[in-house]
Amino acid sequence: MGGLLSVLAPIGFVNEFALRIGRAIGVVAIAAMVVAILIQVFFRYVLNNALPWPDEAARFCMLWMTGLMAPTAFRRGGFVAIDMFGRALPSIPGQILSLFLLAVSLLVLVVAIGIGWGEVTGFGGKFTTASLYLPTSFSFDEWYRIPRSWMMASLLVGVVLLTSVNIELILRGLVTLMGGSDRLRPIDDVEMLGSE
Amino acid sequence: MLIWFLPAFLFFLLIGLPVFFGLLAAPGLLLWLNGQEKDITLLYRNVYNGMDSFPLMAIPFFMLAGEMMNRGGITIRLVEFSQALMGHLRGGLAQVNILSSILFAGLSGSAVADTSALGSMLIPAMEREGYSRKFAAAITAASSVIGPIIPPSGIMIIYAYVMGESVAALFLAGIIPGILVGVGLMVMVRLMADRYDLPPAHRVVLTGTQLGKTETWVSFLLVRLNLGLLLWSFMPVGAEASSAIQWGLLIGALLIAHGIFLGLRRVVSHDFRMVCKRAMVPLQTPILILGGILAGVFTPTEAAAVAVAYAVFVGFFILRSLSLRDMPQILTNAGITSAVVLLLVGAAMAFKTVVSLSHAPEQLAGFILNLSENPLILLFLINLLLFIVGMFLDAGPAIIILGPILGPIFTDLGVDSIHFAIIMSVNLTVGLATPPMGLVLFVAAAVSKERVETIAKAILPFLAVEILVIFLITYVPAISMTIPRLTGFAQ
Repeated sequence: MGGLLSVLAPIGFVNEFALRIGRAIGVVAIAAMVVAILIQVFFRYVLNNALPWPDEAARFCMLWMTGLMAPTAFRRGGFVAIDMFGRALPSIPGQILSLFLLAVSLLVLVVAIGIGWGEVTGFGGKFTTASLYLPTSFSFDEWYRIPRSWMMASLLVGVVLLTSVNIELILRGLVTLMGGSDRLRPIDDVEMLGSE
Repeated sequence: MLIWFLPAFLFFLLIGLPVFFGLLAAPGLLLWLNGQEKDITLLYRNVYNGMDSFPLMAIPFFMLAGEMMNRGGITIRLVEFSQALMGHLRGGLAQVNILSSILFAGLSGSAVADTSALGSMLIPAMEREGYSRKFAAAITAASSVIGPIIPPSGIMIIYAYVMGESVAALFLAGIIPGILVGVGLMVMVRLMADRYDLPPAHRVVLTGTQLGKTETWVSFLLVRLNLGLLLWSFMPVGAEASSAIQWGLLIGALLIAHGIFLGLRRVVSHDFRMVCKRAMVPLQTPILILGGILAGVFTPTEAAAVAVAYAVFVGFFILRSLSLRDMPQILTNAGITSAVVLLLVGAAMAFKTVVSLSHAPEQLAGFILNLSENPLILLFLINLLLFIVGMFLDAGPAIIILGPILGPIFTDLGVDSIHFAIIMSVNLTVGLATPPMGLVLFVAAAVSKERVETIAKAILPFLAVEILVIFLITYVPAISMTIPRLTGFAQ
């Protein structure tokens, strides 16, 4: 168990750190989404001149918000599941079932990383976004058209973070199974409302 | 072979795999076994494309607006307003609880937020008045399901997106069913009041309430603008009328509205007016959202963003109950909750692809039609199925899973797609308050410190009312279809 705990500690630390940064960027992203749509409302209905970029910029932010914040929910047990069966089982079979479910999740995530990498670096990622540009000079006379791969990378990053969290949860499950749950650092709980 | 993805998915779901992974693992596994590895890439693409959607953005926005309104201290104002209106009825605080839920539904659209915000305030108050704790918790949980039925509603945005329906049409279709659930619960409370001798009631109008200058003027303008615009919209003026006439009529309507409110000042006490004014600012949110959508000014997503801006304005400048320090936590909560929902919707879009590829709806339709060809009997059976599903699964994921499978079958049978959406949404939402897995039962238990099993027993009369309303909605389509038809959002 000592070996497991020594592997778990750095993974837990990295996850905590990465997810904290993810949440911070996600907070900025959700605020930026609101601002972008309000700018569009103002230009479309007040000035009668809809801008091309706010809708796409807001979607860009939403995708990154999702990719960066969903792993936090997963780590804190916020993914919807019917856990009645597992809870009805005795402790040890329940923990083994939980590990099996995490293994299935890991399989899905690993396949998704492979496909996601192919998508971001492949043909689809070589296109550019329809209306998003970044200034490349201080005088704002040179602009770089943002590639679509920057948007697509949001899901890939999300899947990578979910995988890292999944590995941490598997290690925690193994430690618990070996009777070392009291040696695990607690994961913060979060208020999850869902769409309901 | 591919049709086996459904039992595989069900198996994964029942053993406890998170719905997001189940939606991808079951079809992925079957595609792989079927030798269709290339289509697994299609699953991934559809998750991404499913999330990359403008209409879906309304979900984080409505969550954010609801969270800000809730933190901004509007709950107490709604309860005070309900108390002034309904507190004198027999079973007064229970009636107040239900009315507060109806009003709260127009702001947040979340049953969980309703139970936790109203429950923490009203359950202790009801206990002090002599209600039993289990009754107080049960009525809080039962009335909270109105939240996702009356617009704005997260689950209706999800349904509209997954099934390609109009969000505005679903929002409008949910208004009467939501109110009907509330009225049904009020009638049940009234009946129980006699039978169980619920505590005597008295009208509670807070005295000596003061409003800030800004809020006084904002409320003053809002009530007149709302009534004035309503009167103006009913004036028989042709589109060809000149703008001078239009403006003249609008000013006339505003003056009439002002006159009406001046007249009301003589009839209504100062304290009652103060309580109404305090509720005016938060109650403007649903008017802004629905009014904007109905008038064709905003899309639902834009209306949601405007609701956020309004919540910021209210919280920071009118009520002054929010500070910049609150914002990171509010944004984080809204972001994390939305992220989970958006991932689920993305996975649902991938799942929907496999549903189409496997011809599952056609095969299921054949099976269902073998049971009976009478749509009325089939609707009864489907309500039964949805109710059972709702007992185990939350409304959002259940809609994501069952919508693409059941929707097309009943549309082919001649049931209007909007009507079916409402049947499904209301039924699954009521499931939030049913044991053994009703989410709001657990929240009510946490808030009231009462056992879930005790609340589950106490809630049964209210659930009976809600089931009755589900069947009314099912067999009287006019309940859900009248407003969308009158406003041109449905045929």
